[in-house]
Amino acid sequence: MRKLSRYFSLYRIFVMQYIKTTMQSKVDFFIGLGGFLISQAAGLAFLYLVFEQIPSMQEWSLEQMLFIYGFAQLPRGIDHLLTDNLWMVGWQMVIKGTFDKYILRPMNIFFQIVCERVQFDALGEILVGLVLVGRAVANGTVQVTPVKLLFFIVSMAAGAIIYTAVKLILASIAFWLKDSSAIMTTAYEVADFAKYPIEIYAKPIQIILMTILPFAFVAYIPSTYFLIDANFWKTIGAECAVAAVIWIIAYKIFQKGISVYESAGN
Amino acid sequence: MKKYLRIYWPFAANQIKSNFVYKGRFYLFILRKFLGMFIYYYLWMAIYASASSGELGGFSRSEMILYVFMSYTISDMVMVGISSEIGYDVTDGSVAMSLTKPIDYRTRLVFKSLGVMIYRAVVPTLFIWIGLEIYKVCKLGMPVTNPMTMTATLLSVLFSFFIYIFFDYCFGMLAFVTTYIFGMNIIKNATLNFLTGRLIPISFFPTALQKIFSFLPFTAMTYVPVMIYLGKYSGMQVLEQLGKQALWVVVLYLFGSFLWKKIERRIVILGG
Repeated sequence: MRKLSRYFSLYRIFVMQYIKTTMQSKVDFFIGLGGFLISQAAGLAFLYLVFEQIPSMQEWSLEQMLFIYGFAQLPRGIDHLLTDNLWMVGWQMVIKGTFDKYILRPMNIFFQIVCERVQFDALGEILVGLVLVGRAVANGTVQVTPVKLLFFIVSMAAGAIIYTAVKLILASIAFWLKDSSAIMTTAYEVADFAKYPIEIYAKPIQIILMTILPFAFVAYIPSTYFLIDANFWKTIGAECAVAAVIWIIAYKIFQKGISVYESAGN
Repeated sequence: MKKYLRIYWPFAANQIKSNFVYKGRFYLFILRKFLGMFIYYYLWMAIYASASSGELGGFSRSEMILYVFMSYTISDMVMVGISSEIGYDVTDGSVAMSLTKPIDYRTRLVFKSLGVMIYRAVVPTLFIWIGLEIYKVCKLGMPVTNPMTMTATLLSVLFSFFIYIFFDYCFGMLAFVTTYIFGMNIIKNATLNFLTGRLIPISFFPTALQKIFSFLPFTAMTYVPVMIYLGKYSGMQVLEQLGKQALWVVVLYLFGSFLWKKIERRIVILGG
């Protein structure tokens, strides 16, 4: 318990420090936020323009599609906000040897990496996600009950964990290959599949999305629980199970990676 | 002209070579592009399956398949960004070095990108196009693209390359205003995905917007070559579109020179 509170206060200190450095340039913050907002707007405009032409897409109405789209943004945004620094591990920390500093400090290494950066750009994704989900609630596409609200929060957390775990596994590959940023970007491209109902894809893609890169569980599958009252255990329950399993695997790989890490020589 | 090429060609050749070296990275790059294309392929297939008529926004299902793959390959080949490099050069001050060298900064960047484009044209694009052509004839039952259309398409793609690069050069000048080029690029790419017709054909937009777009250079980057390839323009219209593209190349080139002159006077480099 004492350890936990120590980590909380450390996190606050790290984040305050980071905020101070970003405050040097407020313009950058708005550029980043604007960038992600505009990307989202483009995706939404696509849906609108398409639904001008068709009444519904394989049984999904525009309102339902917007809910799935917004729902998909939230776990992704949360993960993006909190653990963006993992990119740095895959991209340059291992190859440049700057990973050394984490090993020297008496703190959990994963914690140290994560708390070094808070990516405020992600607020753009979160904002869009909240607006779309709020809209779906307002026009009755989904009903709110205390139970559903609770499961919504659980689902967001589990979804974010799946994102983080996938990112951690791929970043850890850098311990063996030195640079895994190209692999990471590729996996993120796959995450885009999650914004739409997975039934539209060919079988092999569906299988990949449910096993190797389980992005189907971060958005589409849990969102059916809220939209059409799909079975709890097959949706949110499955999502939590996947999140737990993949997190354990990811953390094991990460620890294994650290043990083979060797610093860049000079 | 010959002397000019002798000076600048090595920049292009170097890019081609270094692209060949990083093979693993390159295959991942291709895989990524394929993933992006297939998301939209399946999305469109689902959309057409739900449509009551066989035609949406003036495109039949077969034409839409061709559209998705052509617009993706063309924009990937043509959009070789230089603004992030300008960004780096400005933030670390090395842009000052290029002022002292007897080499034109922009021409050097253009040739470097030309190298990347040639590489991308040969390695993934050509194979995708050949595959697409076979698919088109055998599976979709459409006639083989005639040589005239093919030539016009290639010419149009070349114009697209220059339109994009001169546009991106102007965009890169923003590096003198903000250092967060990464964020600026996200804004730019999202906007371009939309305005160039890569995400969705321009004909899906309301007519008023289409009118506005026709006065902007963006449709000339991807939409125009794809439409020429699909045979959506008549002979006269093709010439008109090509002329428009050429005009944009000139306009953006001149605008870039103008911006550079303005900025050159106020460059302040830290340190010595």
